[in-house]
Amino acid sequence: MQKVYVTAAAMTKVGRHFNLGFKELAYEVVERVIEESGGEAPDYLIVSSTLAALQCHQLDVSTIVAQALGLSGRRRIPSIRVETGESSGAAAVEIAVAMVRSGMAKKVLVVGFEKMTEYPSAKVNADYSKILDYELEVMRNVTPPNYAAMIMKDYMRRYGVSREDLTSWPVRMHENASRNPLAQLPFKISKDAVLKAQVISEPITLLDSFPLGDGAAALMIAGGDFIPPGSEGVEVLTTCSSTSTPLYLRDELASLPATASLRKVADAVLPSGWRKDAAVQVHDSYSIYGVLALEALGFAEPGQGYRVVEELEYLNPGGGLKARGHPIGATPIYGMCELYALMMEGFAGLSFSGSYGLVHSMSGPDYNSRLIILKR
Amino acid sequence: MKLSISIHWRRKETHYRLALTKCRACGRVSFGERKVCPYCGSKDVTTLIPSGTGTLLSYSVSYFRREGDEEFLPRITCLVKLDEGAIVPGELVDVDPDEVYIGMKVEAVLRRYSSDDPYGLIYYGLKFIPFLKG
Ligand SMILES: [Zn+2]
Repeated sequence: MQKVYVTAAAMTKVGRHFNLGFKELAYEVVERVIEESGGEAPDYLIVSSTLAALQCHQLDVSTIVAQALGLSGRRRIPSIRVETGESSGAAAVEIAVAMVRSGMAKKVLVVGFEKMTEYPSAKVNADYSKILDYELEVMRNVTPPNYAAMIMKDYMRRYGVSREDLTSWPVRMHENASRNPLAQLPFKISKDAVLKAQVISEPITLLDSFPLGDGAAALMIAGGDFIPPGSEGVEVLTTCSSTSTPLYLRDELASLPATASLRKVADAVLPSGWRKDAAVQVHDSYSIYGVLALEALGFAEPGQGYRVVEELEYLNPGGGLKARGHPIGATPIYGMCELYALMMEGFAGLSFSGSYGLVHSMSGPDYNSRLIILKR
Repeated sequence: MKLSISIHWRRKETHYRLALTKCRACGRVSFGERKVCPYCGSKDVTTLIPSGTGTLLSYSVSYFRREGDEEFLPRITCLVKLDEGAIVPGELVDVDPDEVYIGMKVEAVLRRYSSDDPYGLIYYGLKFIPFLKG
């Protein structure tokens, strides 16, 4: 089995790129990754986009991206598109790693993108809501922030946590983003601003949820035997993923069962005490999910996650989905790019002395959950 | 056109009667018509039509805007525990948000889900209201 590495990474600023379509966004990051890889083309292209069919009217986006980027003609590079809701980018990495580890490919280029600003937010929100079960949930007017809101209420009631206590999450994410020039919302906010912001689905306010922004990010995933010694970059120790039941079939609302099952993999692969030696990216489309993900991954006991948000030094260093932004199909690849940068040379004002990096991603209320574990 | 006749019609037992799946192996009841019990994996399941009454397990007053539903905001989205034991996601209507409380007794009524107005189809289905039959 091949050892697998991330050998190059690139991302665009997240925001409203009215002058750039998905082809231009993908081009920007792919060109930089290929350049960083010595100009050599990959032998496989994996494209992640969640909403391309609904926002860009485009099917077969992997082929269209390959054609637009000049990877299809003379080089005939094969491509595939991956979609698993909000975790699509992590699924793309999962497949890239499996391909390289098995020897099926030497170098796989992974690119994620999303165009979130082609239509008014009401259409984007309607399309995004389809990450839930269309027939049983979406048709009945149940949406992702509604579920997050009910989970948050249950958490507050169960553990005696106040609405104000949970402002620790967005305040920290904005503080991190203020040092990340690629973040969509690179400014600090106060607890009061979170509480007084427009209500999305009470108790969730606008400042508990992610902004709508476009973005693209890319990675080169390569096998150890094919990399010149000294340019290995960051090793991908393992990837794992899990699915869970719909929220209405769960006996408990305030937990993330699929994510919790991935914790066992991390504990098995990494040495004991790894949490003190790791940087972590968790999925925080809504504040409560960031807190619950920390608990599910063992960074805090149940009901205590909101207390450790300020203590963890390397937590969502780019500002998380909340403040860096959530261009959905690209989001977990942004998480990878940020940890790659942090582990290679430092990122967003941080230098990292630890050994491990974890990128967590999930879709909706933990309907599927994915974890990528990095080591330098 | 966003709505489809067949997609809605195929699930009419769900939308008009809140059809549940009852498992003969583990005894648990789940929302939706299923071929496999989501709790134990048994295929020894049967459809159960509930009475339509239950209690409010959780709710949120929502201003989340989706194309076509702006005029219906805020919506009260909820999870209801039916008297038969299954939890059902849906909407609570005909009540002031200030008067809603967890544990409230509710019942299902037929209402409009969404429409392709002004020219198209309308989806109807069951929502919840405060229990009146008492
Ligand atoms: Zn069963």
